[in-house]
Amino acid sequence: MTVLHRWHGGVLVAACASVAVLTGCAAPDAAAPVAEDRSWDDVLAEAEGQTVDLWMYGGDVQGNAYVDDVLARAAAELGVTLRRVPIADTGDAVNRVLSERQAGVTEGEVDLVWVNGDNFATGRQAGAWLCDWTSMLPNIAGTDPDDPLLTSDFGTPVDGCEAPWHKAQFSLVYDAARVPDPPTTLAGVLDWAEVNPGRFTYPAPPDFTGSAFLRQVLYSVSGGVDEVPLEHSDEAYEELSPALYDRLAELAPALWREGDTYPQSQQELDQLFADGQVDMTMTYGPATVDDLVADGTFPETTRVLTLDEGTLGNASFLAIPSTSDDQAGAMVVADLALSPEQQLAKARPEVWGQFTVLDLDRLGDDARAGFEALPDSAVVPSYEELSAGADPELSAGWVTPLDDGWRREVAAG
Amino acid sequence: MTAAGRAGAGSRRATLLVLPAVVPVVVVVGAALTSAVLLSLGLTPLVGRPELSLDAWRATELGTSIRLSLAIAAGATAVATVVGLCLALAVTAGARRSRLLATLSSLTIPVPHLVGAAAMGLLLADAGFLPRLLGIAPADWPALVGGRWWIAVGAEYAWKESAFIALVVAGVLSSRVASYTETAALLGAGRWARFRHVTLPLAAPALGASAAVSFVYTLGSYEVAALLGRPSPEPLPVLAVRLFTSIDLAARPQAAAVAVTTSALGLVAVLVSLRSLRRLAAEQ
Repeated sequence: MTVLHRWHGGVLVAACASVAVLTGCAAPDAAAPVAEDRSWDDVLAEAEGQTVDLWMYGGDVQGNAYVDDVLARAAAELGVTLRRVPIADTGDAVNRVLSERQAGVTEGEVDLVWVNGDNFATGRQAGAWLCDWTSMLPNIAGTDPDDPLLTSDFGTPVDGCEAPWHKAQFSLVYDAARVPDPPTTLAGVLDWAEVNPGRFTYPAPPDFTGSAFLRQVLYSVSGGVDEVPLEHSDEAYEELSPALYDRLAELAPALWREGDTYPQSQQELDQLFADGQVDMTMTYGPATVDDLVADGTFPETTRVLTLDEGTLGNASFLAIPSTSDDQAGAMVVADLALSPEQQLAKARPEVWGQFTVLDLDRLGDDARAGFEALPDSAVVPSYEELSAGADPELSAGWVTPLDDGWRREVAAG
Repeated sequence: MTAAGRAGAGSRRATLLVLPAVVPVVVVVGAALTSAVLLSLGLTPLVGRPELSLDAWRATELGTSIRLSLAIAAGATAVATVVGLCLALAVTAGARRSRLLATLSSLTIPVPHLVGAAAMGLLLADAGFLPRLLGIAPADWPALVGGRWWIAVGAEYAWKESAFIALVVAGVLSSRVASYTETAALLGAGRWARFRHVTLPLAAPALGASAAVSFVYTLGSYEVAALLGRPSPEPLPVLAVRLFTSIDLAARPQAAAVAVTTSALGLVAVLVSLRSLRRLAAEQ
């Protein structure tokens, strides 16, 4: 799409939106559109010359550089122009697609979204994603079809509506110089925070990382992951959430600034950690910590903390909006992103350091050797070690009630 | 043609002349407000059947946000009005040094609020430039950014809006104040009497109007409160944006309800200030 087309698109959306408003038009059909089954060569031929707008969270410098310098270049060789659209929150892209659907737009501005969890679930609920297309991708063969992280995204069945991109493991990060004897369980971390007032805090949900911390604490105070039903229900919420909020409210006076306020994002928490105001930070992308230590943002004594009970793990994906008119190009990019070469390049700590979604046993010898030759890090343990005893994510239905409850019970309290 | 007919033709022409300005405003603002009202009443949902309901209005805790937004807007406007008036007096004063100061302070006008907010954050945060310069440890520095009293937010609005108020008031004063104060001085009025009975009444309409503009702007502005504020409680615009971008589809009508509330408050503020300005004009 040219700039001019984009502008016209915007006007069109605005015009359609006002027409929809004035005519009191009903909500769009929520059924997901399904991709037509066709040969991969056919898709490649159609993709040639298309421009794919990849909407992704723009706050990760390494991720931006990887997409611009590595992925986009490889896509150009296949005749597809890949353009990265940075957004502050993945929800912005989903909202954009939903508005386009409401306005009946078929030449939408979003062609590919880096997504998972509640954003994916909401899009599915409103039929915003193209479905049944990932089985067409040649490189999907490198993934394990029974891998639970790839078949279910925060409890929502994937059903071929998004192609896996990378895996992530929720991790706490600490400074070994200031915490010489780190706790080994999450309950221990909370106790440690109470003994060391002002040295710990967490991002305010609905920040993605803060929200994950909330769920991790929920597992801990409920007596383990098996005690929390993954599927959300009001009864389970009523039964389990009070213990969570009580624990966090009790902890609050011992937090940074006496829990009077919280960092609004993971970046703010990282900033506090880098400034030495707190001794721990947290991330859903621990592999990126290596680079933060290497460039001097974090102290050299920074370490990723492994917890005895394991931590939340998830996978993130690339989804194609049903309103996109460059769907063939988007499929080609999603397939390229799954290729062993791209997954390996992305796994290098100096490039992006994202864990691969590929099953190494299904790869050729060369590709497997490449992954096995990835350097060991003093800061971040290997994915095998990090993901040992990994906890499944709660279903997306849990996320919003937990975040809203935190705002009511802990932040306002 | 009778006098009445001529007057009618004149007012028709006036209406026609105003139309190019009024039509776009009515279409854009009207369509936006209508869609927000419809959304807040559950008549244009993203999924599901349209159904009239007041759920969105009941679900959000509007009270705290309304009080907070009004307090921030009132506090920032009060400071901006006092500072702006002082700056305007400095501009119109003869002394070259105070004129230079006022000119320098008007340089803040082209700085966008977003840039101002980022700069304020870098300056006032507890590991910011100012505490580092003064050698104060982050833990001992008062919570200006993200604190209980929204100091950094108020400071940013007051800083930006005072320049705007100064510009408007100085424009009015510069053309008229010199001759009036000279006359008053010749009649034996002292400094305070000249300020109280000549300058202030001359400045009052412009001061009131620009303060009203600043109040309504602050009430509806998002970025400064979002950058320098705290997660809870939230001012109206921050609440509206969070609800609108929430991934829970049911939150969108609530966002619309908050937006409609903000607009209504702004409208009331404008009407009240227009009324009192008119009364002020009648008194003079």
